[in-house]
Amino acid sequence: MSTVDEAVNRGRNLSSEQFLLLVVGIGAVALLGDLILGLASGTYSISRVARYVTEGILYGLIIGLAGIGLSMTYSILNFANFAHGDYVTTGAFFGWGVTYLVAGWGVASVGPLVLVAPQREVSGAQLDVAITATPIAVLAGLLVAGVATALFVLLIDRLAFKPVRGSGGIPLLITSVGVAFALRYVLVFVYSSSTRGTTASVPSVDFLLVDGYVSIGAHDATLIVAAVALMLGVHFLLQRTKLGKAMRAMSDNRDLALVTGIPTERVIRWTWMIGGGLAGTAGYLMVLWTGTIDWQFGWLLLLLIFAAVILGGIGSIYGAIFGGLVIGVGMHMSMIWLPGGDFTTITAFLLMILVLLIRPSGLFGGKTTA
Amino acid sequence: MAMLDVRDLDAGYGDLQILHGVDLEVAEDEYVVIVGPNGAGKSTAMKSVFGLTTYMGGTVEFKGGDITGRSPDEIIHEGIGYVPQNDNVFPSLTVRENLEMGAYILDEVPEAALESVYDQFPVLRDRQDQKVGSMSGGQQQMVAMGRALMLDPDLLLLDEPSAGLAPDLVDEMFDHVDAINASGTAVLVVEQNAKEALHRCDRGYVLVQGSNRYEDAGEVLLNDDEVRQQFLGG
Repeated sequence: MSTVDEAVNRGRNLSSEQFLLLVVGIGAVALLGDLILGLASGTYSISRVARYVTEGILYGLIIGLAGIGLSMTYSILNFANFAHGDYVTTGAFFGWGVTYLVAGWGVASVGPLVLVAPQREVSGAQLDVAITATPIAVLAGLLVAGVATALFVLLIDRLAFKPVRGSGGIPLLITSVGVAFALRYVLVFVYSSSTRGTTASVPSVDFLLVDGYVSIGAHDATLIVAAVALMLGVHFLLQRTKLGKAMRAMSDNRDLALVTGIPTERVIRWTWMIGGGLAGTAGYLMVLWTGTIDWQFGWLLLLLIFAAVILGGIGSIYGAIFGGLVIGVGMHMSMIWLPGGDFTTITAFLLMILVLLIRPSGLFGGKTTA
Repeated sequence: MAMLDVRDLDAGYGDLQILHGVDLEVAEDEYVVIVGPNGAGKSTAMKSVFGLTTYMGGTVEFKGGDITGRSPDEIIHEGIGYVPQNDNVFPSLTVRENLEMGAYILDEVPEAALESVYDQFPVLRDRQDQKVGSMSGGQQQMVAMGRALMLDPDLLLLDEPSAGLAPDLVDEMFDHVDAINASGTAVLVVEQNAKEALHRCDRGYVLVQGSNRYEDAGEVLLNDDEVRQQFLGG
């Protein structure tokens, strides 16, 4: 009897899965068909769709870059870090403080510059902050965003996470929620809650695409170069270096890593530093790209980062990168049919839910950093 | 004087005491086996040598130095290698990367040790770039042993190396242990497969309920009527 029941259940599961797949498939085909027909008939402008794709890729690179750290801490420390979004914001403020300081040296006093002009004493446009006009200020800020955030995250680990490390994933997760709130309001206290503009306009290259232009600005290019370089760097680190192999070993089997003589605490420290550094860099690049900074953009980005990382298969850095691109491009492409704004967030989570329904372990599956 | 000298060891996990005054000795180049019924504390005794249990009393000396209560990463430096029974490989790493991890504490990957592991287990040389998770149980066991041999330890601890292997692979595994021992590494093995293990070893211990019950040369234990009836199934 039991085997019959099993067979029936299996059949039922199969048919419900296939039904779901059918619905998703029909939906995807319908949208694709509408897109192709629309493009062919001129209802949708080709250059507008191309602009959406470009913006989606840029946004996806930021989400993916920030997602790598979240995925790494998940696979090596076994918990979902809700403070990761605020690391993104923290890094952005650290880095932009330095950028303002370098670009505005002698123009304004040091205090407001380091605090990224909390009362809007100066603006990025006044200081002419841009990768083209003030390359040293931007590169210094980018570097500091990475390095200072790495060290800062290490400090937070020592203060908040290390004491509860032995007690499992849930206490760590709840601790991280507390860290997230505390950190965010410390940021408000130090940097104020005002939203300010950070960059001057930059030159761009326009590509003619049938019915209009797609423009790639200097800051878009900076984002692409920096994000891709860092992603390649992480790939190289994990596959080729002793530390990277030890990180993968630890994410495979922490107990065995310990009896093998891998210094697990040191590997954990590096994991925090690399993940935090990438989060801070992603925050800096996000501000460079959007041209504005505020106290909670990282927190708002966190849900999308989670969606990307889970969609890609949590624990895999390649899943995080790919998931980020899927979410970014999907969100922007959906503006063809949706009015934009917060509606695109719905697309992000719809994409995640659909992927999980069809592939529960995410696109790159399993719990592995490799 | 024995290389490994465990005296009157009490140990367990948390508040639970499992070993009650266990004595163990392993001389240089010796092949020693611990057998006994389920729950006798065989694996616990081995883990205690490697610093993986809660220490409660007694002493563990290795090469004349006291290693009682030391942590595994310190004990590795003393020249002891340990192969756990389960989950003893890194599945998403390649064979070569698994072996490299075995020598993590060294600055450079020791090419000579790597070559001698490949000579011991030629199949690992052929598959050095394969992910270990995709290999058979017998091959994974070879990777696990190879990993522990990368530091060329003076003493190798093997926790049930034949567990879960197909019958024809069990013999092969024991041959590998013989070869490792013949190359000058002392081995301490915990085995369910008591008859085969006692045949091959120099000396055996029978542990019962966390205490020593018998200790003698392997062949003597095999021919002892009491041991045969109680622990070897007649």
